[in-house]
Amino acid sequence: MADPILEGRGLTKRFGGLIAVDGVDIAIERGEICGLIGPNGAGKSTLFRLISGVMRPTAGTVTFNGRPITGRSAHDICVAGVAVTHQIVRPFRDMSVVENVMVGAFFGHRPRPRGRGGARAAAMEELEVCGLADRAESPARSLTLGGHKRLEIARALATRPKVLLLDEVLAGLNPTETDRTLDLVRTVRERGTTIVMVEHNLRAVRGVCSRIVVLVEGRKIVEGDPDAVLTDERVVSAYLGTAAHA
Amino acid sequence: MARNAAFAAIAIAALIAVPFVAPHAEYALDVLFLIFLYGAMATAWNLVGGFAGQVSFGHAAFLGIGAYATAIMTQNGISLWISVPVSALLAGAYSLVIGIPAFRLRGPYFSIATIGIGEATRLIARNWSSLTGGVSGLTLSSAPPLLLQYFAALALLVAAVGLAAWIRASRFGYALAAVRQDTDAAETLGVATTVAKTQALFLSACILGVAGSVYALHYLFVSPDSVFGFSTSIALVIMPIIGGLGTVTGPLIGAVIYTFIREQLAATLANVDLLAFGVLLIAIVVFEPRGILGIADRIRRMRKPPAVTVPDG
Repeated sequence: MADPILEGRGLTKRFGGLIAVDGVDIAIERGEICGLIGPNGAGKSTLFRLISGVMRPTAGTVTFNGRPITGRSAHDICVAGVAVTHQIVRPFRDMSVVENVMVGAFFGHRPRPRGRGGARAAAMEELEVCGLADRAESPARSLTLGGHKRLEIARALATRPKVLLLDEVLAGLNPTETDRTLDLVRTVRERGTTIVMVEHNLRAVRGVCSRIVVLVEGRKIVEGDPDAVLTDERVVSAYLGTAAHA
Repeated sequence: MARNAAFAAIAIAALIAVPFVAPHAEYALDVLFLIFLYGAMATAWNLVGGFAGQVSFGHAAFLGIGAYATAIMTQNGISLWISVPVSALLAGAYSLVIGIPAFRLRGPYFSIATIGIGEATRLIARNWSSLTGGVSGLTLSSAPPLLLQYFAALALLVAAVGLAAWIRASRFGYALAAVRQDTDAAETLGVATTVAKTQALFLSACILGVAGSVYALHYLFVSPDSVFGFSTSIALVIMPIIGGLGTVTGPLIGAVIYTFIREQLAATLANVDLLAFGVLLIAIVVFEPRGILGIADRIRRMRKPPAVTVPDG
């Protein structure tokens, strides 16, 4: 990988005695859909938080487009072009669906949209892409779980990210919603947005990702082509819960 | 929106006309003056406590700084054209000094910190006697004409409510609403949350600084326990909650109710007004946290069941 768009080197996060992320090196190629998998507690969401600036790493660096972004605030990193969705959806509950997305358009988007009309137009575009345009005026809290997950994506897209970090956007969705969301992920990738997705649905990961990184107990154990990675015995044993130190 | 603006224009015109139509109704003018002053103060508090959801119990500090600054400058013969803007800016500057550390705290921790800040400010005013006159406060000799006070307070109210209405519909208003509803989510969508909160506090403090000037020139007396008093901070919290937290007109409605209860009850029996506010506050929190505007919205819905509307006081 000659020119990764996003790169983490030696990323480490300690919470007291617990090491949630332990010296992870990760490089994301421009335009790929990269899957980030691993058992619960492997440090996947924490890794996202370190990259997106929600948490400061204990050690290590993050580089985006060749520039260091380690330790910068989450809003700075969002404006720079790395957006993240939340595993547990976090809508602005008193706002309508379109207003939720307008926040992303107003603040994450450069150049700034012109006034409320501009932000609204930008937000409607993303709702169209995410299949929520007909719910634009509904209160955000009235959406189903699938709707909430798509709202998370629409809000993040409204910030016009170059890299989109999706944290378990498929969790809790039924098969129809899952297929719809995977189609959405492909559409976003075709727009030229690089995607990293944390996911437990391995069938979905295999279907959509061009590369997979596996974390176990805070460490990266394997990465590479989906078919090869998913049949790797270290990965299989990590998932089946037998000794992980094969 | 156009209807609201038309309604506001008519209301302002009517309030401008009152002193000319009834020039000798001094008590009524005095009550209206208090409503304007409290309305502006409650609206200012609401920018931080309502719009941004950062409930402050220390806002009397800004009123006090404005009041003392104007009193001291007036005693030294400085023109109001200078002392009033300087009072606003001093209160604003103080808000930056306390806001930057206090906004590192969230939710109830922020609120608790503001109690400490408000009380600390009061104690400084009590003990810095060379500047503030200590416990006995400062006295001014001559008040501007009542008519001038009336229009100054009305102008301050109109400016405060106008600012709130503008903010609510603006990009800045979206930042504050996002901060109130989920600060972390706002941050990951590009909102500089601490900057937004600090800006809201600054504007709020500047308005309270001017309110302090108006207060000092009306009562001709400022003391630590009046302008810096904890009960003043509490009044600033109560009014927006009664009217409707986070709305544009709610704090004004709250100020009307607050002023009437205080004028009517405090005059008849000492401290009965406090009991009334306590009961009112509990009733609102239990039955309709959106305040009077929330009740109005419920009545509107009962009349017109199928319509799905979003309240936008």
